[in-house]
Amino acid sequence: MNTTARIVLLVIALVVLAPAAGMLILAMPAFGHPLSQYGDVVNALAPRLRNISNMVAAVNFDIRGIDTLGEECMLLAAVTGTVMLLRGHRGEDMSERAGRVPGRKQPSRSDATVLLCRFIATVLFLFGIYMVLHGTVTPGGGFQGGVIVASSFVLLYLGESYRAWRRIVLGPALAALEGTGALAYVLAAALPLLGGYAALQNVLPLGTWKDLFSGGLMVAVNYAVGCAVIGSFGVLLLEFMEETRAPENDPVPDEEDE
Amino acid sequence: MSILAWCVAAWLFGIGVYGIVTSRHYVHLIGCLAVCQSATYVLLLGIGFRWHAGPPIFYDHPPGTPAVDPVVQALVLTDIVVSAAMTALLLAIALQVHKRRGTLDPQHLRPFRQEK
Amino acid sequence: MNPVQLLPVAVLLPLGLAALLLAIAHWLPPRLADGASVLASLGLVALCGWLAVQALHGPVVHWFGGWTPRVSGRPDVVLGIGFSADPMSAVVAAFCALLFALSFIFAWGYFDKIHAHFHVLMLLFMAAMIGFCLTRDLFNLFVWFELMSISAFALTAYPLGRSSLEGALNFTVTNALASFLMLAGVGLLYARTGTLDFLTMAKVIARIAPDPVITGGFVLVATALLTKAAIVPFHMWLADAHAVAPTPVSVIFSGIMVGLGLFGVLKLTAQVFAADAQVLAMVHGGLFALGIATALTGGLMAWAQRHLKRLLAFSTISHLGVMLTAVAAVSATGATGLLLYLIGHGLVKGALFMIAGILLARRNSVDELALHGQGRTLWPVGVVMAVAGLLLGGLPAGSMYAASDLIHESAHSVALMFVLIFAASLTGAAVLRAACRIFIGCSGAPGVEVTAPTERGREQADRPLWLMLLPCVLMIAIAVLPVDAVAPFMGRAAALLLQPDGNAATAIASDHVTLGSFFALALTLALLAASLMRERPTRRFARRVGRVERLPFDALQFLHSGLVTDYVAWMAIGVALLAAFLG
Repeated sequence: MNTTARIVLLVIALVVLAPAAGMLILAMPAFGHPLSQYGDVVNALAPRLRNISNMVAAVNFDIRGIDTLGEECMLLAAVTGTVMLLRGHRGEDMSERAGRVPGRKQPSRSDATVLLCRFIATVLFLFGIYMVLHGTVTPGGGFQGGVIVASSFVLLYLGESYRAWRRIVLGPALAALEGTGALAYVLAAALPLLGGYAALQNVLPLGTWKDLFSGGLMVAVNYAVGCAVIGSFGVLLLEFMEETRAPENDPVPDEEDE
Repeated sequence: MSILAWCVAAWLFGIGVYGIVTSRHYVHLIGCLAVCQSATYVLLLGIGFRWHAGPPIFYDHPPGTPAVDPVVQALVLTDIVVSAAMTALLLAIALQVHKRRGTLDPQHLRPFRQEK
Repeated sequence: MNPVQLLPVAVLLPLGLAALLLAIAHWLPPRLADGASVLASLGLVALCGWLAVQALHGPVVHWFGGWTPRVSGRPDVVLGIGFSADPMSAVVAAFCALLFALSFIFAWGYFDKIHAHFHVLMLLFMAAMIGFCLTRDLFNLFVWFELMSISAFALTAYPLGRSSLEGALNFTVTNALASFLMLAGVGLLYARTGTLDFLTMAKVIARIAPDPVITGGFVLVATALLTKAAIVPFHMWLADAHAVAPTPVSVIFSGIMVGLGLFGVLKLTAQVFAADAQVLAMVHGGLFALGIATALTGGLMAWAQRHLKRLLAFSTISHLGVMLTAVAAVSATGATGLLLYLIGHGLVKGALFMIAGILLARRNSVDELALHGQGRTLWPVGVVMAVAGLLLGGLPAGSMYAASDLIHESAHSVALMFVLIFAASLTGAAVLRAACRIFIGCSGAPGVEVTAPTERGREQADRPLWLMLLPCVLMIAIAVLPVDAVAPFMGRAAALLLQPDGNAATAIASDHVTLGSFFALALTLALLAASLMRERPTRRFARRVGRVERLPFDALQFLHSGLVTDYVAWMAIGVALLAAFLG
């Protein structure tokens, strides 16, 4: 079908769906006055039961913790899939030099770039770690902090060089970090079972409210998520950056030739 | 005013679908998917919003201060991770397709060929 | 042993193993991942089977983190996420694990060079399916649904061939959109009912239905599940994805993944929306109609294919349509039919995909015309394929036959029942036609299938034939086993899914054979004979008949264009259709 035919289909769908959507919108609960008591109960109970100040973390890592484990595994699956697809026939060995577009001039890195990257990378890295560590207390957490830490790696590529970046950022180590983080989460869920508790039951001492180590098991789970996310996004960046390397010995397979 | 958020969500989804259907480049199409997904962010956050309420973090305010629904915020966080994961995967596939076909026009990409 | 304590292990075991394999993938000796995966999935078969038996006296419920409904102190607020194993859900979960075990055996040593990444994805895939079966929380259901999708997307693209990449793109885009719709639906239901727990939500819905927000939420969630289940007009991605995925993955896709979508529809309708008359009316009428349309479309398309994996993919669509008519009944009879059909069809289709995989490994093609007579030396494979084809076409034996009896019982009229039989016969005859051409070399002049899309392919051939054939034979053997021994259990399981208090009537499946039960088989064989004895049309009249015969098939081929942009437009039409069914 051509674009016109498809737009005709869309218009037909719209004619039917617009009144339905209109009815639905008018029947929605009034904006700003939610009907649900779920959130209120969490806000009322979690600080008391878990000595925690970040309710989103309480929902993510304790009350609906198994959701987050699934979400963590989604990330794992996507990253594993991406690695599998991008590596393809390239393999995981490293190339000697970065790729370049023929005919395009490559100015050498200025000192300012190097200095700025080193500076920002350090700050970003520390900020990410801070974000992970304070996940149960203030806004942030393993997911957010992990992404920030991983993005500080990119600055190494920018500020140093392809070779330095490959030497510092080790693929297998990141993958191990990723797997270990997820494994730690699974163990946090499974170990309470051995003691006769429910899976993911918060069996650790809860700490005091507003303290860095408040929330019991949530602290451990949060760190596990942080590790897994740093590993995942690190691997992801590594493999996407590898796409820019010199393609001298990466044949693009074509099934017609096989 | 009170229905604006829902209208925005519906509009975002619709415009995303329109973009996908008329797309001529896969990276654009992946962007349109992200637009569709942002409709779900708007919807979920709208559902949890409460007038005159603060963030569900009781660090500076004592517990008991009115706060918005933390559950939908947690759900949106999951949603964002889904989006990042899916985008990475789609871009990886698109990269490989581009290597093999030299094009990313969805109108020219179809698995299997018709036998002549 | 306490079943409540072991319930979460069904998900935690595969997730933990996947994480472990990923962490040590770089240093892992080959074969270890194979062995561990097979053992884990067999363990899960045992665990889920045992849970199913334990759950006969009432569902086994586990609240994660100990957040039982009592903690909130309010009647309609459930804070935590529960897993709830009723017998039917646990049986479906056990069946998932069984298919994974067999497909790991089939794939033994096949994926050595990619650092156990294949196993990691497959284990995550399996955990997602089991979680999907066992959860009783709507958002948690979405999480497992999404994990299932993402691992499936990656696995589809794995061969990195042209078609597999493009098929994976179509798969990803359509199913990603579907999952956004599901999330929006979950959001709407949460906004209106204030809970995510199935049973609590059902209570709230019973109080406030009919309500446009509830109905809208159901339509969006059902759209996502029907997309996963490849129901017309959301079905187009399936033929692209299933035909290009690596064989062990296709086995899972066609064997159980798509069926889980239907299981999800049934479970949600029965456990959450049972009190909403508007939703029930739509399921009874609208989904039944879609089921008939799907069965027929899939059957005709399967008949018109020459690429065996594509043929099987369309046949899956057709049988999903048959299963949807069982779901639409929302009755104990329909649910029992669905459960048995899911298992019977999953086994048969899994075996057939493995046979396609054997051909890809040994003959570098699955094109029935190109492979003409080339399978003679692989005759044991041909025998298995013939039995599988007969089972698809209505051979009166085993669980698929017993199930179709129940499903036909819940069809609205005799004419519609005939459509279902005709569709299944078309798929069976198409498989048998391919088997005759490949393994015997007999052939009529090719009909409509000659212009169908096809391509050559290849899969690694370093495994002995017996190792690849073993799981196929096992699957077919289980599929033809008499159902009498398990029928009362299955009937009870289905009844408990619909009414957990145990008050529902129980339907007992039976594979009792009467003269009438040979009708479907006779139709299949007649279609087969017609295609094999076909001659090249020489006279002008015959050519004209041939042209008229081609028309509907050409129209269908035209609609299944392979362009993802078309697919998305059809999805929009599909959502509109569902909305229109509501009136």
